[in-house]
Amino acid sequence: MPFHEKSAWIMAVTLLAGGIAYFWTVASMSAELGHLAPPMLRTVVVFTVIIVVLAIIGHVLVAARSPQDADAATDERERQIVDRAAHLSGYVLGAGVIGALGLYLFTGDGNLMFYVVFGSLLLSQLAEYAWQILLHRRGVY
Amino acid sequence: MGRRLPFANRVRELREQQGPMTQSELGRAIGVTRQTVAAIEQGKYSPSLESAFRIAEVFGVGIEDVFYWTGPGSAGS
Repeated sequence: MPFHEKSAWIMAVTLLAGGIAYFWTVASMSAELGHLAPPMLRTVVVFTVIIVVLAIIGHVLVAARSPQDADAATDERERQIVDRAAHLSGYVLGAGVIGALGLYLFTGDGNLMFYVVFGSLLLSQLAEYAWQILLHRRGVY
Repeated sequence: MGRRLPFANRVRELREQQGPMTQSELGRAIGVTRQTVAAIEQGKYSPSLESAFRIAEVFGVGIEDVFYWTGPGSAGS
């Protein structure tokens, strides 16, 4: 498996686990409050730090097992994979942001808008990594 | 998923005639990874024109001796 595919797996699993944990926390807080909990800077910072630390640990472990692959420059095929995945990711993020703006116009709930945008960001990144993995396996035509 | 490129190649065959040359060695010679050479050989990646010329140059043959058209209008279609 190429290093870039392993990297995509690490990021996808890390983001998925982190995203589930974050929204689980938000859901628990909301249940306690009886309404949608406002976004908390501390929760977002903790989430971000955990994601970054896990991603670094994952990449260090993978790079230690195959340092040559990790050191190799991105070639033309991998650049195509990254570009195509980023293209798809942009659509997912765009749709999420437009949905969040629309939701805000109808509900006026800024907290909800924050969560929808934040969720869209996570989803778009997950889509990007999933598409990268698929293109690595299926081939780039 | 099952899409095929409209051309095939003799990269593997030419590589095996050269010593044999490994996928990593060919990759280093043309500036791509071993996985990309494997993808080209399996018809899962359409290399850039530059890489195609580099491959032909490594083997000392013309580009048409490495890549050949199998799509509509080809001799076998």
